[in-house]
Amino acid sequence: MNKSADKKTGLVFFPAFDWAISPTHPEREERLLYTRDQIFEEGIMDLPQIEEFTPILATPHDIERVHFCVPRVEDQTTEAHLIAAGAAILLADKVVSGSVKNGFALVRPPGHHAMRVVHGNRGFCNINNEAIMVDYLRHKHAIKRVAIIDTDVHHGDGTQDIFWHDPDVLFISFHQDGRTLYPGTGYANELGGPKAFARTINIPLPPGTTDESLLYVVDNLILPVLKDFNPEFVVNSAGQDNHYSDPLGSMRITAQGYARLTEKLQPDLAVLEGGYAIESALPYVNLAIILALADLDYSGVMEPDYWHGRFKESPERMSHVQRMVEHLMNCWEKRDSTLPGQKRLKGRFFEREKRIFYDTDYIDERQVEKLRLCDECPGYLIIETAANYGRGLSGKALCISVPFGACNNCLDESADFYERAKKKGDIRYVYLQNKSADTFLVFDALSKKEHR
Amino acid sequence: MYVGVDVGGTYTDAVLLDEKRVLATAKVPTKSDLLGSIIRAIDIVLKDVQKKHIKRIVFSTTIITNLIAEHKYDDVALLLIPGPGLSRSYYNFNAEAVFLSGAIDYRGREIIPLNPVEVKEKLSQIAAKGYKKVGVICKFSTRNTSYEKQVAAMIREKYPEWQVESGSQVAGQLNFPRRVVTTHLTCATREPYSNFAKSVRQALEIREIKADVFILKADGGTLPLQSSEEFPVETIFSGPAASTLGVQALTKPGETAVVVDIGGTTTDLALILGGRPLLSSKGAKVMEQLTQVRTLAVKSVAIGGDSLVVSDGENLIINPERMGSAYCMGGPAPTPTDALRTLGLTSLGDGAKAREAMTRLGNSIGIVCEEVAWRIIKSFVDKVSAEIENIFFEWEQEPAYRVWEVLQKRRIRPELVVGVGGGTPGFINQIAEKIGCKPYIPPYAPVANAIGAAVAKPTMQTSLRADTEQGYYIIQEEGLQEKIEDSSFNESNALELAKKKLIERSSKYGLEVSEEEIEITRQEVFNMIRDWHTTGRLFDITVQTPRGIICRIGAEDTDEQVGR
Repeated sequence: MNKSADKKTGLVFFPAFDWAISPTHPEREERLLYTRDQIFEEGIMDLPQIEEFTPILATPHDIERVHFCVPRVEDQTTEAHLIAAGAAILLADKVVSGSVKNGFALVRPPGHHAMRVVHGNRGFCNINNEAIMVDYLRHKHAIKRVAIIDTDVHHGDGTQDIFWHDPDVLFISFHQDGRTLYPGTGYANELGGPKAFARTINIPLPPGTTDESLLYVVDNLILPVLKDFNPEFVVNSAGQDNHYSDPLGSMRITAQGYARLTEKLQPDLAVLEGGYAIESALPYVNLAIILALADLDYSGVMEPDYWHGRFKESPERMSHVQRMVEHLMNCWEKRDSTLPGQKRLKGRFFEREKRIFYDTDYIDERQVEKLRLCDECPGYLIIETAANYGRGLSGKALCISVPFGACNNCLDESADFYERAKKKGDIRYVYLQNKSADTFLVFDALSKKEHR
Repeated sequence: MYVGVDVGGTYTDAVLLDEKRVLATAKVPTKSDLLGSIIRAIDIVLKDVQKKHIKRIVFSTTIITNLIAEHKYDDVALLLIPGPGLSRSYYNFNAEAVFLSGAIDYRGREIIPLNPVEVKEKLSQIAAKGYKKVGVICKFSTRNTSYEKQVAAMIREKYPEWQVESGSQVAGQLNFPRRVVTTHLTCATREPYSNFAKSVRQALEIREIKADVFILKADGGTLPLQSSEEFPVETIFSGPAASTLGVQALTKPGETAVVVDIGGTTTDLALILGGRPLLSSKGAKVMEQLTQVRTLAVKSVAIGGDSLVVSDGENLIINPERMGSAYCMGGPAPTPTDALRTLGLTSLGDGAKAREAMTRLGNSIGIVCEEVAWRIIKSFVDKVSAEIENIFFEWEQEPAYRVWEVLQKRRIRPELVVGVGGGTPGFINQIAEKIGCKPYIPPYAPVANAIGAAVAKPTMQTSLRADTEQGYYIIQEEGLQEKIEDSSFNESNALELAKKKLIERSSKYGLEVSEEEIEITRQEVFNMIRDWHTTGRLFDITVQTPRGIICRIGAEDTDEQVGR
């Protein structure tokens, strides 16, 4: 996006003070209370460089452009979810239309663990705020190339799932090594689907990583890759749980580290994700990120228990990170010459099986995902999903997703496939999501009714 | 009988009310001697009545605005304890600012200690520069007043003759920079304001007027004159509040209306939503500086009946400045009032002179005088209408931090445009048409502001912050910080405590308020969960005496009337 120094940074602060997953859950009313205190007391909203906006609600259609909520959007979302996603959409609109230079959706609930198919809440997330905003931008403003940099301590597996096959969305996530933390994925060999190789890049970092190694990754991998990819819009999934005081993560990033990270990434829009050190980290990290986005001096922002030089990077950790960066840079450079794994090719489809666990709601989901390999377009997707909700309940659905810029052949084939599945009637819910035409159909085999 | 007086930039208006009737009105030019203008207006309305029947007098004055605009006060030194956070380079407080080390966090915990040696050094520096008025303001002092109190105590000990103001007592909202500005202005204006209040009391004594005397605040409430000396800055911008309350008193209850008050140099706009004047969610802006002074959501547009109209060779432009009165009233240059006179929309002034002014403007762009007048009025109406739209837009854009707040947002448009003030009648029909409402000019419109002052009610508020994990509470307005003794202190205890403190505080200022009448304006409760267990609760509660007006003018007895 065009940057202009005299434009403001747009801010939506939506702490959802009346919404919680459960009273004692980390995702509760209190989470952004001290952040509110800090940014209000500092007078941030009065600064001439900042403009505060009140959020709007995302529409169910905005959500269906990305997700298959089983059975329907209203079963998987509360108003708070619609507001958080709506805040991201509102700010993205403001950035694209040029009324602000960049934005920060300081909102909850978070979204980056929400995958394409939604049976419930996983990793505190139901719907993916960033993905909904990105597909809104592609639909509404015909933006083609988008980069999402996920800086949460947890792997952004939901965002990765949604854009895995998408050659036009670059997804980069650094996070604490999945062997040591939820959701247990995000390894360096997860590099995206056959049509989008290396458009997914994961940088698992060892526990204890400090600002120094993190910024090394930014300077030597993320920024060069971004430069090559040349996105029209850059999103930062701004989780704050890499902070040294976070109760869930084990990293050692500081508020200053977050500010420098933000300054280097120069995102068009940052969207808050996780971060559960609600007193010792969030007030300072959020303040630092806002100031960095607004190009204001953040050097005075410091946690009360921090002193310069408190964290020193070990040489072993540093050299481990350096080797990984080198390896991933190598993968990136070979992105257009790497062939898909042959054993997953089934005729004209590329097939993978997934097993997804919803930690919050204790749901076990199995998916078979088939990508139609097409030379003319990114190809449509067919997902067969079966979820075990426990208590003897299960949910089955067939999801067909047609990408932006689908070719006529894929449009016809996917429509045929949908009609045949409807006739067959062996799966309760059949969905046809067409991003090219911006339509969404759902067929309920029990009532034999179709909804738009 | 009640008297209301509103001192405006051009005129000072007064009314005498008896129950719901207007008995007398007065309009005198405002001179630089504010007291003289007030007294002249009062003398007119009280000409035929016995002084002993006057129960109360309410003033709305520009004294604070004038003091600040003309910088008629001693310089103030600010002792600031900002701690870490936003860089100090962004602060611009227009005063000597001295920084002290020390920091308090959002929970009121002392994270960096004060350094008494440093404080003493800095105090000597200030003393050497001759300051005798000092504001002490600490970031998060509303969560822990101790640093401000310690510094203030050190000052009182060493420099007992100095005037010291503490930020936490003057400005209890979260916003350090606004707290600094509010404290600065309070410190600066207190002494000259007290002198003014004293001379008002003397003048009334000489006239043997023994009525209770109140002063109107920016939020539309009043304070007894005596207690207003503690919070002088709150009386700033009470003029627009007076007009708004006046309209409230002159229209039906429950009305949603835009109040348009067109004066000589400015047009004041305000909103009444469902019969209640809209309060601004943020504090007033004073001379480009943001404060925590609670105010009605009013907008002052720099355009009025006496604004200078010029031609740039192609277009007619209404400039913000005023050269004098309208040309048709003997002024030096063409104005919107001349345009009204030319088209017969007002009968003020000399018609021939008005046409002369319009014709001269028209010559430069080759149009006749009626066309000139129409264009000026259209441009005036367009500008005011756009600002009205803006007020509604800003109101819709007020931030919402809870799900229910976002869901209840709705688009409201007024039914009525109510015109008050001298310059309004000629414009009101066209403004109403432009924004699709009915125009209304109430009876007594020219003195609606003074009526608003007369019917304003006293208001007091009390803000309680309690942190049960740390075991203390603060009553912000009193600078009171106490331990919570009861280990089971809960929400209803907190509410009860806040109400009790409000009743005590009100009675201290001579206001009787019963518990049932108290309005709760903020009630925030947060459970603090640490490691899946509740370790405490945070309460933020603000209560106030009921807002509203004493009576409506011409209202039937069945009409809603609040606490007479």
